[in-house]
Amino acid sequence: MNQKIIYFPKDGQPTIIANEWQVWDGERDEGGIPDLEHGLHKVLVPFHWWITHYKNADIIERANRGEIGVWFAADDDILKHADLIEEGKKLWPVVGAHFPIFRDGRSFSTATLLRDRFEWQGEVRAIGDVLIDQLLQGARVGFDAFELRPDQNLDVALKQFDLFSVVTQNSWRDQRATTAA
Amino acid sequence: MYKYDHIDQTLVDQRVIQFRDQVERRLNGTLAEEEFRPLRLQNGLYHQRHAYMLRVAIPYGLLSAEQLRTLALIADKYDRGYGHFTTRQNIQFNWVELEQTPDILAELAKVEMHAIQTSGNCIRNITSDAFAGVAADEYIDPRPVCELLRQWSTLHPEFAHLPRKFKFAINGAKEDRTVLLCHDVGIELKKNPAINNGELTADIYAGGGMGRTPILGSLIKQGLPWQVLPSYLTALLRVYNRFGRRDNLYKARIKILVKALGPEEFARQVEGEWAQLHNEAKQSKDNFTQAEWERVAKHFTKPAYQKLNTVSNEVILAATPETERAAFARWLDRNVKSHQIPGYASVILSLKPHGTVAPGDATSAQMNAIADLADQYSFGELRVTHEQNLVLADVEQTQLLHLWRAAKNNNLALPNIGLLTDIIACPGGDFCSLANAKSLPIAKAIQERFDDLDYLFDLGDISLNISGCINSCGHHHVGNIGVLGVDKDGEEWYQITLGGEQGNDASIGKVIGPSFYANEIPDVMTSLINTYVEQRTGDEPFIETYRRLGVTPFKEVAYKNNGKHSKGALA
Repeated sequence: MNQKIIYFPKDGQPTIIANEWQVWDGERDEGGIPDLEHGLHKVLVPFHWWITHYKNADIIERANRGEIGVWFAADDDILKHADLIEEGKKLWPVVGAHFPIFRDGRSFSTATLLRDRFEWQGEVRAIGDVLIDQLLQGARVGFDAFELRPDQNLDVALKQFDLFSVVTQNSWRDQRATTAA
Repeated sequence: MYKYDHIDQTLVDQRVIQFRDQVERRLNGTLAEEEFRPLRLQNGLYHQRHAYMLRVAIPYGLLSAEQLRTLALIADKYDRGYGHFTTRQNIQFNWVELEQTPDILAELAKVEMHAIQTSGNCIRNITSDAFAGVAADEYIDPRPVCELLRQWSTLHPEFAHLPRKFKFAINGAKEDRTVLLCHDVGIELKKNPAINNGELTADIYAGGGMGRTPILGSLIKQGLPWQVLPSYLTALLRVYNRFGRRDNLYKARIKILVKALGPEEFARQVEGEWAQLHNEAKQSKDNFTQAEWERVAKHFTKPAYQKLNTVSNEVILAATPETERAAFARWLDRNVKSHQIPGYASVILSLKPHGTVAPGDATSAQMNAIADLADQYSFGELRVTHEQNLVLADVEQTQLLHLWRAAKNNNLALPNIGLLTDIIACPGGDFCSLANAKSLPIAKAIQERFDDLDYLFDLGDISLNISGCINSCGHHHVGNIGVLGVDKDGEEWYQITLGGEQGNDASIGKVIGPSFYANEIPDVMTSLINTYVEQRTGDEPFIETYRRLGVTPFKEVAYKNNGKHSKGALA
């Protein structure tokens, strides 16, 4: 995992902050969810894992403490689980959307649906194979936090957000510029 | 012609800065080639067999003389003195250096051009009718919609990494000159008093395409008001982005999704997504507005036409010196098209002179000469056709003779438009790293074989399309005669398809049988053409004869007289 993330709130400036959330793939730790007593206290669990475990007492307890969020795989059809996601609004401080490889754009649509369809107000974090040149698109469709692949240069990444002062279509962050000079 | 406002200009200028930074990171090693690849492709930069190739967008085919001069300058300064016009209203430079591409983009930005999304798995350059705004059979000028959608699709954040490339074509005339049904999405604009009070609407065709699995698009939506195109197309692309296959490159195009679901089910899913977008409060702000229409449409008003009378070809020819009359008459017949305005005509400049290097190529000298012709004869504008020719759209009929003479001096006046030697061909194995076989020597050999203009004239309309590989950049599927380069055990072979057609009766050609060697192809063509000549009735065009007789007589002669499989490539 990357120790730092880029946090870029909708009406704020992008900054580099410490990463408080570990992403769990649902496979390691045979006993279940990673140990949150030691190390990081907060974990993003796979949404498909949440579906089968969210009624467990210990999971409910941890979720109520704000220690659990979920991440959506690129092929998760979130529209099929609208009820769970509506309930999740009250439970998950952060949700993630995963890029299995940088050139897989499905999570751009996931983030759009979270913001537009579910009116998700909390943090939506890009995770996985997140590279510098995906940040602009990600920021526009609804991501406000980015855990970049650890080899990426965060200072170069931060500069990306200053590249464009105009856009030609509406998105979560901005409306298309329409005033002709 | 559309003029950038400060928004468009700022965007392309900032895009140059972005790409310059990406190239720098590539060159200093902080950006791996594999990760740079999709980025450079979205800027039209391919790595080809011998060098980098840059594909520049010519949105809906419209160019100013000034832009063409800049393309000539780029050809001279950064390339080898020529450019290649493609089947999708782009121009390609085959020999550029990676380090210089940001400078080329900066040159382009100065004349309101760019290479954004001319490649890559995103919404590609939107193509349209080369005769938009002037064609006699047009019912709506599609260019304002094209331009609004160009803006909407440019650097669209949600659709930056689709499963595969995504191509739009837009038509607004009686005759389809866009190969609408062979696009991922074809938009047919209409104005019907019975629909939406006669306001501009769009019929949407989805899931067409050529390549490995050629399929004609299906009608999935009728009578869509033009204002809601952004939300409807967003819904359509979102369904594709989420559910298009990503496990297999060859099955990732939208045509495979539409085929797998069935057009009705695909349309239902798009409708469902769109209904949600309708319900969201933001929908109204996604709509195109009348103000935006007016901002864009004011650039597509008619030029300052003179009040003239229509002149018949007979009158034009009567005034032509006898020594020139026969040749000029041919050119009038093939290369000059009727116009909406009395006294004007549209002229096609052939980029297919026989024995040429490659169909669609133009040297920088030709580009500069064409720019001068555009200034002198056609309000400083020109167009690029799907067939890889250039058009001067607004020529006074009384100037046609002068224009013809000037075009002749620049080797641009061959009267072969729509004839057998007006070949559509991709660059093939001479340039393209994807190609399995060469296409340019095949085109050249056929042009040499059929060099007699009288004979070509007599044959009439025949389309011949050549692709060097299954990706079908030469659109061989929709050629009356198609030639496809295939690789068998490391050798170049050529498969023949017959019966393809573009236009309103679009159809996909059928393979006639085993493939041929390169040196057999001119003889195969002769056999096919001779059969047509023997079998046709009256002025029946090739495609009609084929449809009437079927493949059998053509197939028989192709293999009876040829197909000996004697080895040999063309020079």
